[in-house]
Amino acid sequence: MRHIRPYITGGITLLFAAVIFILPFLFIAIQAMKSKSEASRLNFSLPQEWLFWQNLIAVFKARDYQLLLAYFNSTLITVASVSILVILSAMVGYIMQRRRTSWNAIAQIALFMGLMMPPAVVPTIGLLQDLGLFKTIHGMVLIQVAYNLSFSTLLYRSFISTIPRDLDEAALIDGAKPWQIFFRVILPLLKPVTVTNIVVQSIAIFNDFTNPLYYLPGKENVTVQLTLYNFQSMYTSQYNLLFMNILLVTIPPLIVFIFFNRQIVAGMTAGAVKG
Amino acid sequence: MAQTSPRSQKSPYPLWFFVPAAVIHGVFFLAPTVKSFWYSLTRWDLSTAEFIGLENFRQFFSEPFLVQGLVNTLIYAVTTSGLKTVCGLLLAVLLTGNIFARGFLRTVVFFPVLVSTIGIGITFTVMMHPTRGIINVALEALGIDGPGWLTNPSLALFSVALVDLWKGVGLATLIFIAGLAAISTDYYEAARIDGATRFQQFWRITLPLVRPATVTVVTLSLIGGLRSFDLIWAMTRGGPGFSSDVVASVIYKQYQAGFYGLSTAGNVILFALIVAIILPLTLWFNRREVSQ
Amino acid sequence: MTNLTLTQIRKAFGALEVIKGIDLDVRSGEFVVFVGPSGCGKSTLLRMIAGLEEASSGTIDIGGADVTYAEPSKRGIAMVFQSYALYPHMTVAENIGFGLSLARRPKAEIEAKVRAAAETLQLTSLLDRKPKALSGGQRQRVAIGRAIVRDPKVFLFDEPLSNLDASLRAQMRLEIAELHARLKATMIYVTHDQTEAMTMADKIVVLNGGRIEQVGSPMELYRNPTTPFVAGFIGSPKMNLYGGPIAERMGCATYGIRPEHIRLSNEAGTWQGRVRHIERLGADAILYLDVPELGEMIVRTEGETPFSPGTILWASPISGAEHKFAA
Repeated sequence: MRHIRPYITGGITLLFAAVIFILPFLFIAIQAMKSKSEASRLNFSLPQEWLFWQNLIAVFKARDYQLLLAYFNSTLITVASVSILVILSAMVGYIMQRRRTSWNAIAQIALFMGLMMPPAVVPTIGLLQDLGLFKTIHGMVLIQVAYNLSFSTLLYRSFISTIPRDLDEAALIDGAKPWQIFFRVILPLLKPVTVTNIVVQSIAIFNDFTNPLYYLPGKENVTVQLTLYNFQSMYTSQYNLLFMNILLVTIPPLIVFIFFNRQIVAGMTAGAVKG
Repeated sequence: MAQTSPRSQKSPYPLWFFVPAAVIHGVFFLAPTVKSFWYSLTRWDLSTAEFIGLENFRQFFSEPFLVQGLVNTLIYAVTTSGLKTVCGLLLAVLLTGNIFARGFLRTVVFFPVLVSTIGIGITFTVMMHPTRGIINVALEALGIDGPGWLTNPSLALFSVALVDLWKGVGLATLIFIAGLAAISTDYYEAARIDGATRFQQFWRITLPLVRPATVTVVTLSLIGGLRSFDLIWAMTRGGPGFSSDVVASVIYKQYQAGFYGLSTAGNVILFALIVAIILPLTLWFNRREVSQ
Repeated sequence: MTNLTLTQIRKAFGALEVIKGIDLDVRSGEFVVFVGPSGCGKSTLLRMIAGLEEASSGTIDIGGADVTYAEPSKRGIAMVFQSYALYPHMTVAENIGFGLSLARRPKAEIEAKVRAAAETLQLTSLLDRKPKALSGGQRQRVAIGRAIVRDPKVFLFDEPLSNLDASLRAQMRLEIAELHARLKATMIYVTHDQTEAMTMADKIVVLNGGRIEQVGSPMELYRNPTTPFVAGFIGSPKMNLYGGPIAERMGCATYGIRPEHIRLSNEAGTWQGRVRHIERLGADAILYLDVPELGEMIVRTEGETPFSPGTILWASPISGAEHKFAA
């Protein structure tokens, strides 16, 4: 009996934890499939009619297919920012790790500020307006790159420290130019951390709410998180559609997580332990 | 002796690799940050800025609702950071133990980290509805009269903090799991031979040796807590009244109201707050690291 | 014909001078070994020849051209690294041909050269493998193959065998020596292992504290070391070196005698000592004597030596095999 007790208490604790962490997602899924009147009761009962498709179509049709546009915009912003991020931060991480230069101290400070400091929003809006980038997708992309550079650089720098310098020197002797050393020898070897970077940053940028709220207001550039936020005030009487929307927003990270579980965990812990 | 060479060799690590990143980071992050110090001293409508000295800061520290935002930020950051550290470590210990469905449970605990904060916020707002929300309905079934989680001004901030814990504890757990995995099992075997109980093993071996992970979790969650905006905004918009306002939500509200100078002053205060808390903390953590 | 000339090469890292003025001539086709303890500057010197480090002063001349400030790839050298430095994401063929592909040589030419190098090194069946799938010795050969296709004036080897186990090291030593005989190329080889230096070199350069201690063929250095450092470094077990009264009596600062140049006897001899320990190696035995007059003395004798620890015996130097050093 004494040997079993820790397992029982452990089991109960874990069951408890599982319920706490899974229940809200079940709640989302069930609400998303109810009818309008059933959903407004907010309770946990199963729907009497399963209205998955109807609700799905209704959500997409709402406000002139705004959700479709939002998915398009969010995907565009995510893909563009992550592509730029990967190349630029790998370059910075490489030089910071490899070269002893006084610029490193400055880069280091900029990196820590980027990790720690909240951006100064209103001056940034002023700047974007001056540059004609306010309320534009490419302005948003540049902002996402600027704000997420530090984390990506940190990931790359710590990974590059595991690549022996002999490889750079061998390539140098083989006649590679500096950019060839980087693009033909180093960058291909960074694939594991590049995958981590792509996955982690895609999720972060796709889920970002605050920055589009400030820098990308307006209907034509709406992002997925902003749509959700707008639907919240619009659908106070249509909880089924609101939760269908939440379900839709939850699915992309779930899919990414299923496929890239390992890389996400690696990225989150590697970046964090050093950070 | 060491004469200068006629032509210095080119480094294989060119500094221009810094340039594109430095331009983007400098223009879109650092420059506005530097400029904010000036704008925080002005009455500003984005086109003209009128210098008014420390008036914005005076206002920030004299208006009760703004002061409350500042206090709430501290409360929120400390609460969430403390809870995440404690719960994260406990969960990590549980989830590194020999336990049924360990991998699945790790996944379940971590997944909320990846989900849209707005989605989570809306879901919990609905679940915390004072009369119809499933939390209070469940409590009622147990004979407990559930509180107005988000409607009671003295509770709203803590309710949001709990949701923040729910969403963020997975990351803390993950970091602690990595930290625990780095502790050699030799120590535990040696301690068992020395006759240490499981509890003693936790206090005397796990806790001191998992310190780097603890430092990371505390630092990260404090920074996150101090900057926190989207969850609070999705759940309460700072309400009821100003009871759950934090500096970040004040910045947004003042921006919306067109008080750009005041909003920027809020930003400067938030910088100062983060530096004032994180810098000494980091130095203190490092000092202890060295002295050990 | 001279193929490589170093003139007054110096290297300082900040205030720390690690190479303190080196002059050296290497003839075409020569196998030169830089040997010395760790920190003596041998790797730095090699890296300066390669162009991976810049000389603080002095000139480096390869094949008649001053390359002191030339890019590594323009010096006509090839280098085999201690870690082999094979590109992990490329196949063996791509590794060997990488330099040629960077130089935008035609595909057919690259293929032909890679194939030829692979045949020389018996790598033909491995050309499509990645380095991960190779053994230590095979990786070593790929690294050498990458050097061969560059058709360099000088091959540089930086401790290439130190990552291999003992038996493979002996085999690779032989392979590199045979490769040198076949290619008749100039090779410079860095090692801290005096056995590698003795077995492979035409010419050994002994370095110590950033200076050349002595240059010569292996047997010259063995027979006539000019300093106690070289005497102690070349030969195994080490030469017995003594200062003090005996050196004074011999009219020098340091007196040296090699373990294999000492005769042992039960009855009579120069020094009396007690056997402290015996290492039996089979063919030889190494005796550690406590000689009251001198301290510890190491003696190499025949494997079937009749002595045992505790025995008191006499040791005498073979006349003419003694070394007297002024320093």
